[in-house]
Amino acid sequence: MILTLGFSLNISIAQKYTTKTGTIRFFSVAPAENIEAFNHQVNSAIDIVTGDFVFRVLMKGFRFEKALMQEHFNENYVESHKFPNAKFIGTIDEMKELDLTKNGIYEVSVSGNLTIHGITKKVKEKGTLEVKYGIILAHSVFFVKVADYEIKIPKTVMKNIAESIEVTVDVSLTALNN
Amino acid sequence: MKTWIKTLVILAAIGMVTATMLFVFVINKSHPDYETKKADYSLSAIDIFNDYSEDIQNASKKYNGKIIEIESTLTEIESSDGQIIACFVLKEGVFGPEGVRIRMLENQKNILKDIAIGEKVTLKGYVTGYNETDVILEHGSIVVQ
Repeated sequence: MILTLGFSLNISIAQKYTTKTGTIRFFSVAPAENIEAFNHQVNSAIDIVTGDFVFRVLMKGFRFEKALMQEHFNENYVESHKFPNAKFIGTIDEMKELDLTKNGIYEVSVSGNLTIHGITKKVKEKGTLEVKYGIILAHSVFFVKVADYEIKIPKTVMKNIAESIEVTVDVSLTALNN
Repeated sequence: MKTWIKTLVILAAIGMVTATMLFVFVINKSHPDYETKKADYSLSAIDIFNDYSEDIQNASKKYNGKIIEIESTLTEIESSDGQIIACFVLKEGVFGPEGVRIRMLENQKNILKDIAIGEKVTLKGYVTGYNETDVILEHGSIVVQ
């Protein structure tokens, strides 16, 4: 993923912004209960010239309130022993019209491939990029249908887990040469 | 009421209460105590990093989800959004430093501050995997030798 961005690195290293401490939260709202989990070690990179944007997250790094939920998530649903990570590789659609060297808040859409549970789907999601004195704060909230990624939820717990999970991505990226 | 019926009702009640308690206990069981949990493996940062870099599939099978004790020279302490991450930087990669990163437990943050960069330290944590740049551990704690 991040290595994909690295292919054009010799052009200019200053155009790459990265982080290793991004946060992804997911939130499931279902009749029986709400379930929330966080991962605080998300790898992400953006190329402010080409608009390439990537992130990768290790599934075992998601922390749930209840240990049993975490166990079921890893062992039965996302099968993290077989598919240890999820990743997104895409591009910021409006990149040609943006100047991410200037402070401001930019509404953007991102198109690319999202891979979860070993299944890759084309997605297009909205988000914001806030540039603040050389730091880029990327934020996006979108929904993921568990069935699209062949994640099987047993009938007995269908009231506990939503069909669509809300995913929130928050990454604070700094220039690679910083 | 006949004695055998009374006995049956009492037994059924006890059974139901036990089953409910068991269900509640299982549903609400707590997370492992990562600080006191015995390490499955003890090795250096370079050893685990090389294992993943050379054969990610085998290393993932061996280490993912396990408690690992790592003894190496602390090269960096990162702070982000209230999280403290201890880093064993091992090489300069395409996207900056690469190595082993351990997000510390809440109660370990202040203890880690007392350790100087460049000091040899033993840290323990739960391995979540390798993300093509770093080996990632969570629930980190300092192992007092």
